[in-house]
Amino acid sequence: MPATETNLANTPDWSHRLRMQLRNQFARHLENAKPDELFRAAAGILRPALVDGLLESSERFRGAGAKSVYYLSMEFLLGRSLSNNLQNLGLYKTMEKAFENLGLRLSDVLEAEPDAALGNGGLGRLAACYLDSLASLHMPGYGYGINYEYGLFRQEIEDGFQKEKPDFWASQHSPWLIEHLDQAVAIPLYGRIEHEKDRAGGYNPMWLDWQLLIGVPHDMPIVSQDGRTVNFLRLYSARASEEFDIGIFNSGDYVKAVEQKMRSETVSKVLYPSDAVASGKELRLIQEYFLVACAVRDIFGRFLSTESDAAELPSKVAIQLNDTHPALTVAELLRTLIDEHGMEWDKAWKITQAVCGYTNHTLMPEALEKWPVELFERVLPRHLQLIYEINRRFLDAVADRWPGDTGRLERMSLIEEGNQRMVRMAHLSIVGSHAVNGVAALHSELVKSDLVPDFHEFFPGRFGNKTNGVTPRRWLRHANPGLSGWITERIGYGWHRDLTELRALEEFAGEADSQREFLAIKRACKQRLAGLIVERTGVRVDPSALFDVQVKRIHEYKRQLLHVLGVIDEYFRLADDGIAPVAPRVHIFAGKAAPGYYMAKLIIKLINNVAAVVNRDLRVADSLKVVFLPDYKVSLAEIIIPGADLSEQISTAGTEASGTSNMKFALNGALTIGTLDGANVEMQEEVGAENMFIFGHTTEEVRALRAGGYHPRDWYTDNDRLRRVLDSLNGDRFCAGESGIFYPVHGSLINHDHYLHLADFDAYTAAQELAAATFTNSTAWSSKAILNVARMGKFSSDRSIQEYAREIWGIHAFPPALPPA
Amino acid sequence: MRFEESRVGSVLVARALDGRIAADIAPRFKAELAEYITQGNRSIVLDLAGVTFIDSSGLGALVGSLKAMGKEGDFVLSGAKAAVAGVFRLTRMDKVFRMYETADDAVAALS
Repeated sequence: MPATETNLANTPDWSHRLRMQLRNQFARHLENAKPDELFRAAAGILRPALVDGLLESSERFRGAGAKSVYYLSMEFLLGRSLSNNLQNLGLYKTMEKAFENLGLRLSDVLEAEPDAALGNGGLGRLAACYLDSLASLHMPGYGYGINYEYGLFRQEIEDGFQKEKPDFWASQHSPWLIEHLDQAVAIPLYGRIEHEKDRAGGYNPMWLDWQLLIGVPHDMPIVSQDGRTVNFLRLYSARASEEFDIGIFNSGDYVKAVEQKMRSETVSKVLYPSDAVASGKELRLIQEYFLVACAVRDIFGRFLSTESDAAELPSKVAIQLNDTHPALTVAELLRTLIDEHGMEWDKAWKITQAVCGYTNHTLMPEALEKWPVELFERVLPRHLQLIYEINRRFLDAVADRWPGDTGRLERMSLIEEGNQRMVRMAHLSIVGSHAVNGVAALHSELVKSDLVPDFHEFFPGRFGNKTNGVTPRRWLRHANPGLSGWITERIGYGWHRDLTELRALEEFAGEADSQREFLAIKRACKQRLAGLIVERTGVRVDPSALFDVQVKRIHEYKRQLLHVLGVIDEYFRLADDGIAPVAPRVHIFAGKAAPGYYMAKLIIKLINNVAAVVNRDLRVADSLKVVFLPDYKVSLAEIIIPGADLSEQISTAGTEASGTSNMKFALNGALTIGTLDGANVEMQEEVGAENMFIFGHTTEEVRALRAGGYHPRDWYTDNDRLRRVLDSLNGDRFCAGESGIFYPVHGSLINHDHYLHLADFDAYTAAQELAAATFTNSTAWSSKAILNVARMGKFSSDRSIQEYAREIWGIHAFPPALPPA
Repeated sequence: MRFEESRVGSVLVARALDGRIAADIAPRFKAELAEYITQGNRSIVLDLAGVTFIDSSGLGALVGSLKAMGKEGDFVLSGAKAAVAGVFRLTRMDKVFRMYETADDAVAALS
């Protein structure tokens, strides 16, 4: 069904409303308005519709006695909202016309909106896609996160190096956020446990000498695709406890009071960059607890507004832990039930498990969160006490099952013993949840077989799979209106509601007119991307070349380095060997490296240095270009992805949990060059191996290779082509004036190569050559590309959410009644 | 810290007049409660009906008073508003203190 202009759109003279909004909100005439003010004025006009929707949806769910899911995540990578909200409310054309009447373009205004970059990458974007699907499926589902003042850093490239700059996303000034000071919650932390007896003489630990933080909620409306349901993402800002400050102020120590206030508000100041950088940081632990404590208190408050018996919690509430970052939910929920609701342990524990579900996002043991016991005890003494007791009871059960197996007890314990004792958050999450899932079929199997096999053996029914998905609203309809129109012309609007209807496109894959139009749309997207490239990097690229794209966080396991090695090889073959190019190609990279991740930052430098050499070499001219687009973010992805021909998904098999950019690219008609890793495996099942370029060692083969002793130096020695590429990293060819800068890359590859770049190099270059040859045949290429689009229905986040709702959360859809015809 | 005192039989009812019991007044609060005990009062009702906020230092003062009284007498609380009662539950102090809805209820229990 097409989006229709709502009643709101019938309100006369939107141009006048924009003028009045500018006047009332900013005391500006249109002629003097800045782009940011125009954006805010447009957003301001939408606010009444959003608030109406929020209230109506909330009342509808409450009236139905619906069970709700609360999705707890330290990251929500939302991107921009104005265009999405306009489309969902059916007001896009109305607003476009209103600006046009004022002599302005809506597209320019949309560009003024800052990305809400409250996440690092896939995990945060997944959370945003899931909120979109929950609303669009008319399900009561809400996100809970932190209202970071500074989202993920802004990336600038200086002399090829990544430089991190603060990204202030206006957390307190976003026109979308609705502050609810009246619903602020007080959160205790620090302090000590006093081991007292209660009035009956029983043991009664009391949590004393804590400090208070205040969590102030801000709601970001999340609009369904038809504008009829509006859920919210509740983001908490940390404030100093006013009462506490007054106390210090009154005692006369002004400086101390201000320091205390600043320290408190630091809690929601900045999003930690990804990976191991955050581990061990006291502030990060406090952030995680702050999110969990605010959320649990708020969820309880909502529950108790309609129910009186805490034992009924699982019938009304499901909480999903997006990775281990909110794992403290297990301890906080248990604490609330026992300490604040007087429930006995066994009952409270059953309720906690029934409410919580845990999604694992990583297979790398070193990436599983652990916190020093000493730190935990200082910050959260009562929670540590509860975790000890959870562990004692759990290990008793393990010992009953496997008497005398002390090794297993050590492996499964919630506490890792050693010089520094650590709390294992993944173990806490598994033990405290009724469902544990991975995010792609392969990943979920590896969680069971490799990551936590003991737990799978102990809780065989607890582990499952929920393959990730992406929202087709943002990643196809919004990002690629041309292709969306092409689809709708052929199969109607049904795919808006059910993405599996894209299958009906298969019959057009071989049709000449459809192929021609499809390629024309792709060409337009590539032209737009080419414009962005020249604007951001100064490099002119030919839109008729093969656009070969790898955009994602920079990490060794994702193997941007393999891509670069392939580029260097391609360059040598063209420039030095004089081999004629099969197809001109533009290699497009983008992504951020964690600020403390030396090797990832060096890979960015290598990409930029290779680009600098290649792009000025007249011998290759337009046959080969390399660009690194700085500051990758959602709004950039919305331009890059529709413009891609080839999507690089080349992680070492067995390392990527799922990936979601792989899905976005294929949905936009890019062909995938990839390993059998993450969701690529299921994409191949859907799309067909003949419509992708799959290469490299499989997970099993990787395991066997490592088990047999992987010696990368042998691969280097035995392969002339590879050796030439690697030797160039030891010379000055890509680092004139910076001699030796890439020695660490060379040394790492030759001596360790943990991610098997060298072992997969030949297969990768062969797959690239096949891709280039296929690209020269536009009929074959467009046919495969159309089949990719047609067969991506499974990878809608709507499908993922329906599976979670049915199999883990037990929640249902409550669509609003349709207005009378 | 200001109190309004009344006596019902042998029971001393001390009504806290400050709306908030926090770090700035906790030491005096604790000292004055200790003074009641030193004076020989063995049945004390601390009425918190007028208190809207209590922080951990205020709670610490109460725990100190309870310990000072020991088994020699009764130190009970009354009138805690929802927010204050919530703090007691959060810290599990509700399981240590005898808490009554009103001062009259507390007096009746101690008489």
